[in-house]
Amino acid sequence: MDLRHLLFTLALVCANDSLSSSDDLLRWPQISKCRSPELETFSCYWTDGNLYNLTAPGTIQLLYMKRNDEDWKECPDYITAGENSCYFNTSYTSIWIPYCVKLANKDEVFDEKCFSVDEIVLPDPPVHLNWTLLNTSQTGIHGDIQVRWDPPPTADVQKGWITLEYELQYKEVNETKWKELEPRLSTMVPLYSLKMGRDYEIRVRSRQRTSEKFGEFSEILYVSFSQAGVEFVHCAEEIEFPWFLVVIFGACGLAVTVILILLSKQPRLKMLIFPPVPVPKIKGIDPDLLKKGKLDEVNSILASHDSYKTQLYNDDLWVEFIELDIDDSDEKNRVSDTDRLLSDDRLKSHSCLGAKDDDSGRASCCEPDIPETDFSASDTCDAISDIDQFKKVTDKEDLLCLDRKDDESLPTLADADAQQLHTNTQSDRSESWPPFADSRDSASPSVHTQLSNQNSLTNTDFYAQVSDITPAGSVVLSPGQKSKVGRAQCEGCTEQSFAMDSAYFCEADVKKCIAVTSQEEDEPHVQEQSCNEDAYFTTESLTTAGIGLGASTAETPSLEMPVPDYTSIHIVHSPQGLVLNATALPVPEKEFNMSCGYVSTDQLNKIMP
Amino acid sequence: MALARAAGQAGPGAALALLWLLVRAAAPPAVCAPGDSGCLRLSVADLFDRVIRHSGRIHSLSTALCAELENRFPARDNELGKPARRCPTAGMLTPNGKEYAQKIPREELTYVILKLLHAWKEPLSHFNQHMEHHQELPDDSLSKAKQISKMVHELETGIEKVTEKMQSMGIISNSLHGMASSEAAGFSSTNEANMMSDSDFIHCFKRDSNKVQCYLKILKCRIMPENSC
Repeated sequence: MDLRHLLFTLALVCANDSLSSSDDLLRWPQISKCRSPELETFSCYWTDGNLYNLTAPGTIQLLYMKRNDEDWKECPDYITAGENSCYFNTSYTSIWIPYCVKLANKDEVFDEKCFSVDEIVLPDPPVHLNWTLLNTSQTGIHGDIQVRWDPPPTADVQKGWITLEYELQYKEVNETKWKELEPRLSTMVPLYSLKMGRDYEIRVRSRQRTSEKFGEFSEILYVSFSQAGVEFVHCAEEIEFPWFLVVIFGACGLAVTVILILLSKQPRLKMLIFPPVPVPKIKGIDPDLLKKGKLDEVNSILASHDSYKTQLYNDDLWVEFIELDIDDSDEKNRVSDTDRLLSDDRLKSHSCLGAKDDDSGRASCCEPDIPETDFSASDTCDAISDIDQFKKVTDKEDLLCLDRKDDESLPTLADADAQQLHTNTQSDRSESWPPFADSRDSASPSVHTQLSNQNSLTNTDFYAQVSDITPAGSVVLSPGQKSKVGRAQCEGCTEQSFAMDSAYFCEADVKKCIAVTSQEEDEPHVQEQSCNEDAYFTTESLTTAGIGLGASTAETPSLEMPVPDYTSIHIVHSPQGLVLNATALPVPEKEFNMSCGYVSTDQLNKIMP
Repeated sequence: MALARAAGQAGPGAALALLWLLVRAAAPPAVCAPGDSGCLRLSVADLFDRVIRHSGRIHSLSTALCAELENRFPARDNELGKPARRCPTAGMLTPNGKEYAQKIPREELTYVILKLLHAWKEPLSHFNQHMEHHQELPDDSLSKAKQISKMVHELETGIEKVTEKMQSMGIISNSLHGMASSEAAGFSSTNEANMMSDSDFIHCFKRDSNKVQCYLKILKCRIMPENSC
């Protein structure tokens, strides 16, 4: 059967090809479709071929056979379904049984088809479409309608023998494309947001629920709001989606983004547009400068600040000489800054101090909020009185020889910041001091804090800390605080590499250092000793008692003595001497002791712009 | 298909609820008084609706599975009653039209439905086992087959419960048990199933699931006295 069918088909195809040349289109009769509208009856339709006229004028028959039959039977009804059709009524229809129909002319079989009735269900179109207006929008431009229809009359939906799905399509009258809704079981559908000023066309079709093919479309329902007498507003053409505006704004946004990206690459413009948030720091001092080691700039900045001279003392703030008696030559090898300062290695101090002193401005040191330190050092023990002498110093070692010593001397400076300042002597020192203030930020802020903290105790302070270093190379000492602060300071200061031999301390700091170290029992080493040994005096003590070891005084409550704050060490007077520059006072111009080579703060300030 | 699957997921729950409700309905009235908010009393019509929905889901699933299998293994079309395509329930006498379904007694129609469902249980389980060994088929088809098998079980159980309720209510007589013994299953499912291809097998089941759905609808229509069925 299979082979015969195949041969038959091939024969048909060949015949078509061979005969097509003679005739325009020679077609064999074919069964076009078989459908059942309601799962109770079915019909088959076929097409006549042109061959009909050529062959013997027989009649085409449609034969059918059910699965259980043995023989082919002829179509019971050729009329009801129209021409070239065969209608099977309910008595001839068995639903779930396979059928085969074939189109034949006597012995010549034209076409054959097998199917089952439940698979060929194509319902009739729904009927009685109508619509009602649900509501209109407030503007009267849009409205909602509800479309209802009845199921096809042939389908027995009521008894549930067949379940139908409906699909509604609608469009505006002058449109070409239909809009479709999802297939649904209900026979009423709301349509929302129709334009009241337009007319619509609606059509519905149905299918059996589980099948794929839809039946024919129903008649078209015309929806016209004007006919319904509904008040509506003729409005102008709707504004379509403003593509133009979207493009414009999108381009602008893109351009702005690109510009911002480009600008962000340029730091200057970036600074202009996004100004950096000010962080607490000393006015005019850029932490980066300190980090980078540009001591000259730092010094210049520090020196340019007149406001640093807040702590003015009426006392004569000429540089006082402090001679430090350093007996122990081993102090050279000590790690502490104090040692270094007091050691015989004056070179360190000189080099450290005046290496890069290009500026003339000198801020006084030892003021609470003055972060700068003025170090004036010279190799030849005498204070370098002027800038030139400062410049002579070529040795760039630290005044405090912080960098010379190991890092262990600066335990609190174990961070990279200290190392960054390695090349820069003064800045390094300045960095080394701030750890007193428990912060590792840039020197200036911490020192500032330190100084401010010490402000309250300035009257009774002694110097225990070099708070900053001026560009000129002078160490700015910050007055130490009592007890804890002082202890902290001294703890740091003892560990710092004081260039003891040639360094000047602010008296308060040094004194504090002594006091603290004396109090501390856990540092009985040389550093403390060096601290103690050094002669740290207040101005009064210096003037009165001269230079001498003031260990006792350091330990005694000479702290309570009101002393001015020395905030800068100018020059190493002698191997054991320190020339301290007190806080700048508005004293008249002092004699500039060129021989000693030291300059007071205000003098320096006057010298330098 | 997703809808069918989602509905299928609710199938067990629906069947359980159905069973529970049927049991409750059969319980003495003192247990569940009318108007009691916590107790839902379902009428036979509601029960039938649930059962019909369940059978509809089964039919949808089987249609989808049949389409998938036919895409993979194109069946030889236009074949008439080949032995290879003999369905497991070919030997059963079932009404083949609406009028026949309307004519036969309700008890017989109910019995036919139950018999159909019962006849498919074993072949479906065999089919599932066979499908699991089938490496080529996608997991989607396998899951559908399993779900179909499960849902057929549930549907049969549900219809049995509905039948009991109908019998208790006197809608149908209790002569069902007599019919069950008279007609054996009458088909060697194993032999037939082995000879059939997968797509033919599911095609057969699809047809029978459509039968069950239509019969249930007619039965419901016939049970409700107000409808002119």
